[in-house]
Amino acid sequence: MEKIKILLVDDEKEFVETLSERIRMRDHDSKVALNGEEALKHIDDDLPDVVVLDLKMPGIDGMEVLRRIRKAYPNVQVIMLTGHGSDKDEKEARKLGAFEYLQKPVEIDTLMKKIKKAYKQKFESSMMAATFAEAGEFDTAKDILEADKENVDKKKGKKEK
Amino acid sequence: MRELNEKEIAFIGKITAGVTHEINNALASIKEISGLMEDLISMSSTDSFPHQEKFLKVLPRIRDQVQRSVNLTTQLNKFSHLADERTAQVELNDFIEHLVFLTQRFARIKNVELQYQAANQAINFNTIPILLHMALYNCIAYFLSHTADGGKVIIHPIKNGDKYSIHISFEGEIVDKSKLFNDISSEEELLILQEAISSLEGSAEFDESSQSITLNFSIKHE
Repeated sequence: MEKIKILLVDDEKEFVETLSERIRMRDHDSKVALNGEEALKHIDDDLPDVVVLDLKMPGIDGMEVLRRIRKAYPNVQVIMLTGHGSDKDEKEARKLGAFEYLQKPVEIDTLMKKIKKAYKQKFESSMMAATFAEAGEFDTAKDILEADKENVDKKKGKKEK
Repeated sequence: MRELNEKEIAFIGKITAGVTHEINNALASIKEISGLMEDLISMSSTDSFPHQEKFLKVLPRIRDQVQRSVNLTTQLNKFSHLADERTAQVELNDFIEHLVFLTQRFARIKNVELQYQAANQAINFNTIPILLHMALYNCIAYFLSHTADGGKVIIHPIKNGDKYSIHISFEGEIVDKSKLFNDISSEEELLILQEAISSLEGSAEFDESSQSITLNFSIKHE
């Protein structure tokens, strides 16, 4: 079974660290960020496959983090996991490209199923890119496949200067 | 009792919403920690942990109570948002289902069953949610205060063209039937009900023989 790289973002330290431990016990790679700024920095440095993101946090809120991830790293799947949960928030999150919107507390099995589904979606996007490349449509393939890599390389290049 | 104005009610709602959110966060942590315990115990052998089976039976009970608490805080949070805006669009079946959940405890203390019969269609309209809640709650409270023990309160919304009614009836023994709806002006629940209904531009009908109250409204769409 492939190890999924997961970033959990929540200001509730006890909750997010325990959840992370449980995910690692299920043989996946899980890291934690306690706020939006930390999450965005982490994503720049070490791109995850799936982000599990709280909505209401001090500083940059979850919706803004989602917006920035979807813009810079469209191949990273984001699952919203929030105790706040209004219909309006769910609609907005899905419109911004959230893969799923879940209410806290959630059963670990339910969360893992959604994470695996999100990862599969990401993988399928990569396969789609490969198909386009095979057909000679390199620009389209590049758009899909290299969106994340390009952004990571750009930022690494900037830092090294 | 002093009357609260809209800003005061909205303030109470806002603080309640904030605190229920914090309680939910704590419940989520408890759930994860008990889940982690289950994970760790499942990984141990029976030799290293002789009480494994007992622990694995007990831990889900924590999970069940957490879920029960989450249901309560979710409904309380929903209630606290009633005062966000003076008027709002509601769907009456959902609205009554929510009220029944919130008032279960009051009915349970009197061994009264609270039953809700949904209308056969959605009933959407604009209203003042907190006043409608108060009106319905006081109908239920009135019957609870007139029963010794036991019985059933049944709430049934009905749509009829551009009007809707909410029928609240009591099946069971009333302590003193001669006093039922006898002096509306002296009974607190009915006074509050009348005030709320008046502000909602509706009407209330009291029927002693069927032990029921019917609230009538015209549907407003804004």
